[in-house]
Amino acid sequence: MAQGSAVQPQKGTESGAPPLHVDTTAKWFLLSSISYFFIVGIIALTIAAKFVWPELLGTVPYFSYGRLRPLHVNGMLFGWLLACDMGISYYIVPRLCGVKLWSEKLGVATAVLWNIIILGAVVALMGGYNHGFEYAELPTPLEILVVVAWVMYGVNIFGTIATRKYTQMYVSIWYIMGTVLWTTFVYPTGNFAVDFTTGVNQANLNWMFVHNAVGLIFTPIGLGIAYYFIPKSSNTPLFSHRLSMIGFWSLAFVYVWTGAHHMIHGPISQWLQTIAITFSVMLLIPVWAVVYNFFATMKGQWHQLRENVPLKFLMSGTVFYLLTCFQGPMHSLRSVNAIVSKTDWIPGHAHMALLGCFSFFAIAATYYIVPRMWNTRLHSDALANWSFWCMILGGLGFFTTLWLGGFWQGWQWNNPAIPFIDTVKALKPVWLVRFFSGTLIFSGIVMFAYNVMATVIGRREYAQ
Amino acid sequence: MLSKADRSAAFAVAAALGLFFIGGLLTTVVPPLVDKSWSRPAPGLRPYTEQELHGRAIYVREGCWYCHTQQTRTLVSDTKRSGWRGVDSPISTPDEFVYDSPHMFGTKRTGPDLSRVGGKYDTQWHRTHFRNPRDLVPGSVMPPFPWIVNDEKEFQALVAYIQRLGRAKDWRPDKDYEK
Repeated sequence: MAQGSAVQPQKGTESGAPPLHVDTTAKWFLLSSISYFFIVGIIALTIAAKFVWPELLGTVPYFSYGRLRPLHVNGMLFGWLLACDMGISYYIVPRLCGVKLWSEKLGVATAVLWNIIILGAVVALMGGYNHGFEYAELPTPLEILVVVAWVMYGVNIFGTIATRKYTQMYVSIWYIMGTVLWTTFVYPTGNFAVDFTTGVNQANLNWMFVHNAVGLIFTPIGLGIAYYFIPKSSNTPLFSHRLSMIGFWSLAFVYVWTGAHHMIHGPISQWLQTIAITFSVMLLIPVWAVVYNFFATMKGQWHQLRENVPLKFLMSGTVFYLLTCFQGPMHSLRSVNAIVSKTDWIPGHAHMALLGCFSFFAIAATYYIVPRMWNTRLHSDALANWSFWCMILGGLGFFTTLWLGGFWQGWQWNNPAIPFIDTVKALKPVWLVRFFSGTLIFSGIVMFAYNVMATVIGRREYAQ
Repeated sequence: MLSKADRSAAFAVAAALGLFFIGGLLTTVVPPLVDKSWSRPAPGLRPYTEQELHGRAIYVREGCWYCHTQQTRTLVSDTKRSGWRGVDSPISTPDEFVYDSPHMFGTKRTGPDLSRVGGKYDTQWHRTHFRNPRDLVPGSVMPPFPWIVNDEKEFQALVAYIQRLGRAKDWRPDKDYEK
């Protein structure tokens, strides 16, 4: 069973009746998100190259660093990762509920709207129409469309859950429900409420959103996906239901308090910094509960990692989750923060969370569900394996050089005898390695995207 | 108790929102009510002029804030680095930023912090520097901005904004600000 469990053709319903799940929405979301993964990957490489060759495309306003960076961030966050996660949840939720998706029509409309938003974002950000808040760069009309799309998504998910056949809700369903609910409040805080405030008050709302965009959007939906696909792709039951409850409910309580840890030592009340630090350290509880649960599930099953590409992505994603969520609480400590804050360590940390962990989970799920949704085999297992090794080696190169470089940069900043420009020059080798690691990651993305597209386009139906 | 959330979606929704709102409200709505310094302008702080606002909009549009922070933190090295000609800079305080929207505190410091840059370099320096930063600072990785320098109105607005940054505290002992 271990042997390429991802590529077994999917059995239809046993009775020979037409299959329960048509998955049109999931397919639309997956295919468009994977296209953005590729396209925005080119943007990512371009901005990494600009650190090495600052004159590159330098005289064209639309391609300047300050406009491509938000395009990279928003494109990867909303065009790729969130869209892919939404697509996967359109696949998971109906199966866990034992019913059809509440409305495929609404789902497809959501997918179309989502694509309009992403294409609008490309035009707006390259044109310099930047709202001016990190992770919330889209101009207000597009942000309103995001809310509309999110409500459409939420209605579909909750509609499916409300009509479910199985009373008992699996962990993944809580996490996906949590994502829908929390996003409904977190997103407007970072995108609309900020416009009614100024200065430090506004920054506090902005960081509440930035932190929780990761902590209460990408984390719960990503973990919901991992909770589904780790047991599925290893064919092993989840280790502990109780631990998964501890992980979920402590996440619900603890994450939202920590926004001010983005301004430690900065111009914001010391007591608020202390609250943010305290709760940041408490994040270890939900994280370790989840990670222990995943590792314990794999006990006696680790040999499956040799052959099972989705499982490789899932378990290395779990290790990156453990690492990135150990870094987070540690950075929030005042002593560590004085060194690493604002340095290149931080993009290393952010990429480990969103690429190393949550994108790995999404890729694993995609490799698992694409052959099943299209009732075929994956185009190439070998290519899937190569995509894994390119991404993990490129990722490790990226993360480790930025941590080491960032830490070194922080030490230099703390010695005012070193002129600032010398701390910039010192980082140049780091940025060169980052560019080449990025190239390796991008090759992995190309292989992944090609493999999926070839599976879909060149598919052979497998008779039941 | 929470095992009830396994079976009842309504209970799960209520619990997930309830737990979220405790921290959500206490860390966003309550702090500005408790700490009035967030909304009280510093004594020397005046609202932005129309030209400065235009310059600020250019600063937002070009994403300057992705690489330049605007906060002198409570770290000795920050006060030295934001300092100038042997004088340490005062740390940044909330009352200096009450007219800022969007705020430009920043999270990443690829280039130097700009919270006290106002008055350090004259207009001609900025003109040359925006055209090609490496002409003045060899080794810099800042992008060139020829389209700003070539538009005199935009350039003057941006410089007007930069020159007022951090000036509310009027921290230079001899008022030796460049124009």
